[in-house]
Amino acid sequence: MNTSAWTSPPSLTARLPRRRLLQAGGLIAFWAIIESFAATHHWPVPGSLVGLGLLWLLLDRGILPSSWVESGADGLLEHLMLFFVPAMLALVDHPEFLSLLGVKLLLAVLFGTVIVMCGTAMIVEIGFRIGTARHARAR
Amino acid sequence: MPALAKAVFWAIATLLIYFGARRLNVGRPCWWTSPLLVTWVACGVLIVALRTTYHDYLIGTHWLVLLLGPATIAFAVPIHRHRQLIRRHWVVLTVGVVVGSTLAVVSSWLLAGAFNLTPEMRASLLPHSITTPLAMATSSRIGGVPELTAVFTALTGLFGAAVGETLLSRLPFRSSFARGALFGMGAHGAGVAKARELGQEEGVVASLIMILAGLLNVIVAAVVAAN
Repeated sequence: MNTSAWTSPPSLTARLPRRRLLQAGGLIAFWAIIESFAATHHWPVPGSLVGLGLLWLLLDRGILPSSWVESGADGLLEHLMLFFVPAMLALVDHPEFLSLLGVKLLLAVLFGTVIVMCGTAMIVEIGFRIGTARHARAR
Repeated sequence: MPALAKAVFWAIATLLIYFGARRLNVGRPCWWTSPLLVTWVACGVLIVALRTTYHDYLIGTHWLVLLLGPATIAFAVPIHRHRQLIRRHWVVLTVGVVVGSTLAVVSSWLLAGAFNLTPEMRASLLPHSITTPLAMATSSRIGGVPELTAVFTALTGLFGAAVGETLLSRLPFRSSFARGALFGMGAHGAGVAKARELGQEEGVVASLIMILAGLLNVIVAAVVAAN
């Protein structure tokens, strides 16, 4: 799996692997069908989320062999960042962010990120140590 | 230029810049050659230089944004691939995801309050720690602007991936789980790439934490929005 490798260099395949494109196309078709259902039936959760659950169920039950979707899914996730760059460019319509507001938002993002990183790592480290200690005692 | 030619031009320009940026990042891998940052800035400069409106740009590239949907579905594959690790360590993964998401939401809420941001800005900021497609889905359900959320989320990833190692070198976290969780929860996609450099288990834990935290947030937002 190669989920948006932003800093590590991704393997640059010069030729387009046909299998990967075909599988990605299949996933896109699967998404389009589910999304049209979601739109007509006014689902409260995004159609893509239902699709994720459904695909996982198909894989988990062994109905769909994972080799049928794996390469396409990895391909889509590898280029994830390309898909949201156009959304991020909405900023060109908002010159007001080049002001104190932008600085405030940037600071909120920076402080928040440090808090989340430290707090999460701490709780997981504690949980992991408790878990391994219990494991050792059980043995 | 006719509308169709314009749309095709922006689609091709974006793709060329993106693949060029990837090549650049292979030659010189560091945070400021990240394809995300380079593509974003280069496309932004081009739009402003050619006096194009965002509306016109999006006509040519909206189909790329739509691909976030199938990409979200694709997250089922890594979840299935690492099912054994999930089954064995579901408690610690759940604790990490729940605590991490709570910290992310509470800290953004308080910081937005401290900086006197509008409710719309605050809602756009809340999901900034989760993976972008799910952050945008969450944002639209809680009264935020998904495009702004995409910006905040990308900045979170870039910053988190850049400072994560410094934090780890100063903090006493030894387990690969804590190190992976720090990157997966704090810096989503960019963090996962960084965690992979630390080790295989770190990378897997980071990607699972990222996906599960994203799912938790969208589902909670959908429930909140429905009530």
